[in-house]
Amino acid sequence: MARQMRRKKQFAFGTPGEANAIDYKNIEMLNEFVTETGKIVPSRITGTSAKHQRQLTTAIKRARYIALVPFCDAHE
Amino acid sequence: MRHYEIVFLVHPDQSSQVPAMIDRYRATIEGASGAIHRLEDWGRRHLAYPIKKLQKAHYVLMNIECDQATLAELESSFRFNDAVLRSMTLVRKTAMTEASVIATETAEQATAYAEKPAAAAKETAPAKEEAPAKETAKEEVVSDAKSDSE
Repeated sequence: MARQMRRKKQFAFGTPGEANAIDYKNIEMLNEFVTETGKIVPSRITGTSAKHQRQLTTAIKRARYIALVPFCDAHE
Repeated sequence: MRHYEIVFLVHPDQSSQVPAMIDRYRATIEGASGAIHRLEDWGRRHLAYPIKKLQKAHYVLMNIECDQATLAELESSFRFNDAVLRSMTLVRKTAMTEASVIATETAEQATAYAEKPAAAAKETAPAKEEAPAKETAKEEVVSDAKSDSE
């Protein structure tokens, strides 16, 4: 069978205030959804729901802006 | 009155000015009958990428409640202050009061430094934490002496 499901197990997101909440300040959690080069990993790979993926992308972009997370790996 | 979350990055060489800056912002916010619900000083953090050829910056997080005019004043003060490298303002639905993930991490690091006396001497923040502890110890000694004399 050529096509294989390579979905990761769904990450358990917490509600705001919890350790696993989707927030731009939660760098460790955001790094789970970013490649080594700093790109946002598509939900089809990570198995994240569409709602959470939208929240994640805004959180990652906010973290990038205040330099908590890099935009790419080519920074000096 | 709305709830805002503000993060701003201060030039690492101007780190000592941060408490004065916070006092000034507090005065403008509370002068306009606003409130600061959460104030976190993350200290000097390594940047994920250089900004203005700097590798480090001093981060401050504020969760405030104020009107639009006050926010405009704050944002313009960020813009015209050369020490502020970057700032981000978000609208929040509620007042956030719990310590954020980064704040708890930095607090843990500070306590770790405080446990090692050699490292604590280099870091100013843990040294400040130690100072009041010593004062209380002295007070205890004094009170003991008093009880002895009685």
